[in-house]
Amino acid sequence: MFSQASHNSRLAAVAPLAGSAGLSARVQELINDLRPDHADLLTALHRIQHEYGYVPPEAVPLLAGQFNTTPAIVFGTIDFYSEVRTAPPAEEVVEWCSGPACLLKGSLRIRRALEAELGCGMNEATGDGRWELRLVQCDGTCHLAPLLRHRGRYLGPLSTSEAIRFARALKGPAQAAPAPEPPGEPGT
Amino acid sequence: MSTYGELRRAADAAWAPLANPPRALIKVGVATCSRAVGAEETLAAVRAEVAARGLEADVMLTGCWGLCYAEPIVEIHPPQADRQAPVLYQRVTADKVPALLDQAFTGPGVSAEYTLAVVGEQGLAGVPPLAALDFFRIQVRRLMANCGVTDPENIDHYIARGGYEGLSKALTLGPERVIKELLDSGLWGRGGAAFPTGRKWDFLRGSARKPKYMICNADEGDPGSFVNRNLMESDPHLIVEGMIIGGLATEADYGYIYIRDEYPLPVARMRRAIEQAREKGLLGKDILGSGEAGPTGGGFAFDLEVVRGAGSYVCGEETGLIASLEDRRGMPKIRPPFPAQAGVFAQPSNVNNVESYANAPLVLRHGADWWSNVGSENHKGTKMFSLSGQVQRAGVLEAPLGTKMSDVVMVAGGGPPEGRRLKAVQPGGPLSGIIPASDVDIPLEPEPFRERGMFMGSGGLVVIDDSNCILDLCIYFEWFAEDESCGRCTTCFAGTRRMLEILRRISSGRGRAADLELIRLLGEIARNANCVHGQAAPTAVMSMFRFFDDELQEHLVRRRCPAKACRGLIRYEVARQSERLPLAEEICPTRAVVHENGSYRIDQEKCVRCDACREQAPYAIAVVDEFGP
Ligand SMILES: Cc1cc2nc3c(=O)[nH]c(=O)nc-3n(C[C@H](O)[C@H](O)[C@H](O)COP(=O)(O)O)c2cc1C
Ligand code: FES
Repeated sequence: MFSQASHNSRLAAVAPLAGSAGLSARVQELINDLRPDHADLLTALHRIQHEYGYVPPEAVPLLAGQFNTTPAIVFGTIDFYSEVRTAPPAEEVVEWCSGPACLLKGSLRIRRALEAELGCGMNEATGDGRWELRLVQCDGTCHLAPLLRHRGRYLGPLSTSEAIRFARALKGPAQAAPAPEPPGEPGT
Repeated sequence: MSTYGELRRAADAAWAPLANPPRALIKVGVATCSRAVGAEETLAAVRAEVAARGLEADVMLTGCWGLCYAEPIVEIHPPQADRQAPVLYQRVTADKVPALLDQAFTGPGVSAEYTLAVVGEQGLAGVPPLAALDFFRIQVRRLMANCGVTDPENIDHYIARGGYEGLSKALTLGPERVIKELLDSGLWGRGGAAFPTGRKWDFLRGSARKPKYMICNADEGDPGSFVNRNLMESDPHLIVEGMIIGGLATEADYGYIYIRDEYPLPVARMRRAIEQAREKGLLGKDILGSGEAGPTGGGFAFDLEVVRGAGSYVCGEETGLIASLEDRRGMPKIRPPFPAQAGVFAQPSNVNNVESYANAPLVLRHGADWWSNVGSENHKGTKMFSLSGQVQRAGVLEAPLGTKMSDVVMVAGGGPPEGRRLKAVQPGGPLSGIIPASDVDIPLEPEPFRERGMFMGSGGLVVIDDSNCILDLCIYFEWFAEDESCGRCTTCFAGTRRMLEILRRISSGRGRAADLELIRLLGEIARNANCVHGQAAPTAVMSMFRFFDDELQEHLVRRRCPAKACRGLIRYEVARQSERLPLAEEICPTRAVVHENGSYRIDQEKCVRCDACREQAPYAIAVVDEFGP
């Protein structure tokens, strides 16, 4: 039912990118004031992710240097946290709440519909990098269950149909078929 | 350095015009729950309207009353000449602001359309007082006394309402008597393990090594729990003050507040509160003029910092949290050593939950006797609960320990939606278990849960009704445990995975008779996991065995899901032709609704059971299993 990849499969290999001197300089600037043994590594990861949308592989050796540890330890730490990304996000990220209130109110049906409609699995992006479905944890906005989040906006409570229409609007008019006029019979 | 008296006088002056506003005052609550439904836009709209109309009114931001179901909430204090009590209005999105202001200021004085309650003793023109609302009448609000009332970004409001008085008293009492007061109160930790807070502090005090650390566990990782969030964003200084008192009592001089990544607003508000406390001399050196700290001086120094997590449930477990602060993977360790012996950076440390710290200022301010005058025979004080799932009123509330669970779920929450029946309650987090509806009257205190092989947990009540499937829910809990396992011990990471496989097999109709024995065995083995995460992972499944055996057997033996939720055991079919079927065809994301030879059918190969077609054509499409619709 849940097909979320295990922690480990979210790793990308460390491959230094060509022409990334500018990036390295900027990352170093972001973390310059941070120190080992001061609970600062999470701050470093947040700053880098805030700037780039993810933590680029070039940052790993720099973090290791700054925090007086090995790239392996830094990489292991990055990999441990589900909110630290190791790849850039797609253009449009649709966040799907995995929490219990949403579950009880039909979030799995919404998930299946979105996976089919957007053509990507949970925590995956489409091949062209345009859409991504992301599993998120409950943040206590359960009065809106079942909900999705998109660009910081909350959408909920949603029926499956509404979630599908939202996904179609996101894909743009080219992909979405026009909806036929509803006849008089009462709906849900 | 200012004394407490000086701080209080300045704060009183700042708060007075808001407590007894000389002219109209409009308060808009902005917290995570209300922001999600547009409270920030409401606040902006109120400001713009007040300016555009030239209204003689002040506008103020507040925290959250806990009435998530009625957000965004606007409170209007009419001009004093009217001598009318302030009124709370509900569901005031930005587009409704002009109409609300019309009615409240130029029309009848009260806007009947949006009223929720009167903030005061008496009702008004048919509007009930707040305390009479079902959501409120079972509550005793002590921790939440400022929630929705004051501006969480203004330290003066907190001080004027008694804030930091507890710290001031603690400074005169000294560490030993502060700890005695805490022990006398009977306060125990609200983060799940129910360990006496005073004893924990005493352990740290007994540790000779320095530096020592105070750590606030604000990870609140239990999905469906949001009590810590509500308090941090509505009254952050209560937690700051509690931690300072903790530092004073244990001779710790630094503190970390570890807040989960999912809570950006609490991060911002706690950081702001810390800055303000520093400006007022409540953090830093020479706190409240106590003099220089150190070997010669008897003064008190303490400082605090917020650390933002990055998405990991086991970082809420105290040793996992400590590992996370140490720049490593947040993997829990075997105790001992306990944090008081070797905590963060191997130094003596104390870990408490947000709500545990928040109680300390109240114990000190009012004394242990007052603090313990509510609660049950064995458990004193109040507890915050969040309500979500199948309830009419989702929100956050505070009630004495020992309150009947039904008072919270059925009275305050209003129970499941019309026409549905209560089936069960998840008391506090995915590891806590599932209480059946027949036991909904049990008191909210640890023992009744322990007797049933469960945990009361941290207060996130999730309500389940007869439209939900218990097996489906257990699969969710087990998935969560597996996904969040830190991976250190095989017992946990492989055990939860195996359990999940078996549960999924049963829910897809391929269960075997031997599966139940296997699950029992896995449940036994889990007790040997390194930390409570693995040990408690099977709790929900074990409650299913004990209380929902019928439902489990239906899945296993008759291969049927009574709630028609398990996708492997249901099919969607066209039961009748209807003119709404073209809508079903249009909405289907997999083109499984097929129109052929003038009639519709569903292609079972393509159908993903998302229910959209039935939403569109409820009379035409039926959910069926082997036994029919
Ligand atoms: C898997 C797991 C997750 C936990 N998550 C939290 C949490 O989010 N917040 C919390 O206060 N305690 C949590 N705890 C309990 C802590 O380990 C610890 O007991 C608590 O923070 C102590 O504070 P208290 O004495 O004030 O309750 C968790 C425990 C486990 C095993
Ligand atoms: S379960 Fe989705 S917001 Fe709480």
